[in-house]
Amino acid sequence: MRATVYSGRNTVQVENVPDPKILNDRDAIVKITSTAICGSDLHLYDGYVPTVKRGDIFGHEFMGEVVETGRGVSNLAVGDRVVVPFPIACGNCWQCEHEMYSLCENSNPNAGIAEKFFGHPTCGIFGYSHITGGYAGGQAEYARVPFADVGPIKIEDDLTDEQVLFLSDIFPTGYMGADFCDIKGGEVIAVFGAGPVGQFAIASAVLLGAERVIAIDQYDYRLQMALNKAGATDVIDFSEDADIVEQLKVLTGGRGPDAVIDAVGMEAAHGHGALHAVERVKQANRLESDRGHALRDAILACRPGGIVSVIGVYGGLMDKFPTGAFMNKGLTMKTGQCHVHRYLRPLYEHIRAGDIDPSFVVTHRLGLDLAPDAYETFKHKQDECMKVVLKP
Amino acid sequence: MKKAAVTVHRSREEVQRLWESSEHRPEYVQGTDAAVTFKDAPGDRGTEIHVDLEGATSRGKLGEVVGKLTGSEPLAKVKDDLRRFKQSVETGVIPRSEGSPEGELAERKLKQRPAQPLDESELDKAGVR
Amino acid sequence: MPTLPRPIDSTLHGVTDYTVGTLLMTAFPKLAGIEGTESASQVRVAGAIHAGYSTVTDYPLGIVKLLPYKAHLAIDALGAIAVAATPFLTGQWTKGRRHWVPHVGLCLFELMSLAMTDPTGKGDFHGDIEAVRQANLEDPHRKIYNGGPAVTRTSA
Repeated sequence: MRATVYSGRNTVQVENVPDPKILNDRDAIVKITSTAICGSDLHLYDGYVPTVKRGDIFGHEFMGEVVETGRGVSNLAVGDRVVVPFPIACGNCWQCEHEMYSLCENSNPNAGIAEKFFGHPTCGIFGYSHITGGYAGGQAEYARVPFADVGPIKIEDDLTDEQVLFLSDIFPTGYMGADFCDIKGGEVIAVFGAGPVGQFAIASAVLLGAERVIAIDQYDYRLQMALNKAGATDVIDFSEDADIVEQLKVLTGGRGPDAVIDAVGMEAAHGHGALHAVERVKQANRLESDRGHALRDAILACRPGGIVSVIGVYGGLMDKFPTGAFMNKGLTMKTGQCHVHRYLRPLYEHIRAGDIDPSFVVTHRLGLDLAPDAYETFKHKQDECMKVVLKP
Repeated sequence: MKKAAVTVHRSREEVQRLWESSEHRPEYVQGTDAAVTFKDAPGDRGTEIHVDLEGATSRGKLGEVVGKLTGSEPLAKVKDDLRRFKQSVETGVIPRSEGSPEGELAERKLKQRPAQPLDESELDKAGVR
Repeated sequence: MPTLPRPIDSTLHGVTDYTVGTLLMTAFPKLAGIEGTESASQVRVAGAIHAGYSTVTDYPLGIVKLLPYKAHLAIDALGAIAVAATPFLTGQWTKGRRHWVPHVGLCLFELMSLAMTDPTGKGDFHGDIEAVRQANLEDPHRKIYNGGPAVTRTSA
């Protein structure tokens, strides 16, 4: 089958690789009809995540048709249309039973590697380096889905692929970001990062009843989508004025937002070019692995007693975490890789009810063979690129 | 550090029974002089299994270093056994990935396959068929 | 298993060229404690030359895009070695550590940064944007600007 594989820093290639086979009784094989490129794939692409090997298939946002099931899978039948969550969860361990699916204790066969980086292993993830298990990803024609009796959700509606595909990752991730903010109605929420996850965080905050949602980014087209489509009420373009903290104060009558969502993560940009260059040099020299501009600003901007909701992906260590601001303002931080399985049903119901049409983020729909150019376009935000869906 | 522990989400009676059963028996740990104890974990967490290698055969400093590099160090193999026992008891399978098709294996840590499907000969070699 | 990352793209390399070049010409001699020695002028000249050929390099921060990026990187390497060799060729190294350690240090820094530089110059972007535009089944502009909101406010 054809698959998008890592071929060295800043390159991927579409190559012919063997078709996946059932390896365990609880596996299923899915023929992929749509798959997407994620912002976190870019961390792999850029060479910032260790343990990525040439030949690794990328991709963790995919859906399609079940073509084979292992003996232990009775909830799915051949021909079923499914969306597959990106975290692989067994459903049996203590964490899974407490709905913390991305913390599954059993699904990572490289737990020994993950332990060295994080202290404890966390769940396996499709196509996301060998720290998360070395599982083949879904930017391909077929994928093997472990624990298929726990993960995939059956789609039995006339909805298009683009309308349900994002249940795999970015819609639940954005939603969890907003969920963490404890919205009861009347809050002002600031979302750092208006990429696809940021767009869903904004839309979810709207769904949950926030009074105002402020989108923060440096690309005008992303802020426009946030306003026109995702329901943002205000925007901050920090390429014009890099002092995000002050602008948020003014927008909120001096109080600061009630909660801030970091939908940026470890490759944060910065308004001040020189400061950004310094951070990039440090990161390049491996003096720090994570650039923390967004998280730092989020903590400084959040109102005292507020919530810092971190759904942007981080991998290692950042310099200069504002411990003083965090402690003295009595902030709460909630974070984690999304527990997708927890949100699948409720969000599917929202889509079916017409409360949200997730396909709004798709700006590019291309054949799988264009993956290399698609990665470049997405990475460099060319052609007003927001989200790329690939069709194998 | 010569100790390792894992918590299995099952009652102590069940864990002790399965530890001895032919289906789940952990080969490496049972083949050494390690001291194995079972304790109730707090709350609803299940059972703690503690393995103490102190007093089990030692291979000297050089043997230790070689073991760490090749992944055949006793403690690493004990941890493999504990993780695999937990996986097979809680989920019924040993999770396999394309990078590590045998499942959790200390020797695989430095020698991962690329994360793409295995062909027939590799499947045979990994013992998956 | 791990691949050696080469995260310094041509833009970032340019940033370091100018900052380090300027630093060498200005503050470095004082900071390294070599102000007033022949090392100081050697380092200043090296910094000036480095910044100089950077301005005529064909990469994002070049002013006149003449010198191919790979040639620039080759000169970086040769220049670094030349800087390290200078104290030994002039014999000044016998005068003490201050007269050769900064040179060797700068050489090592430069070689290390070259080891992490991705030599596919001419800017970062190496995709075929036209192929993407032609193959795209969506219209990005329309998706961003046309139509109403994609979400309705419901109660929690």
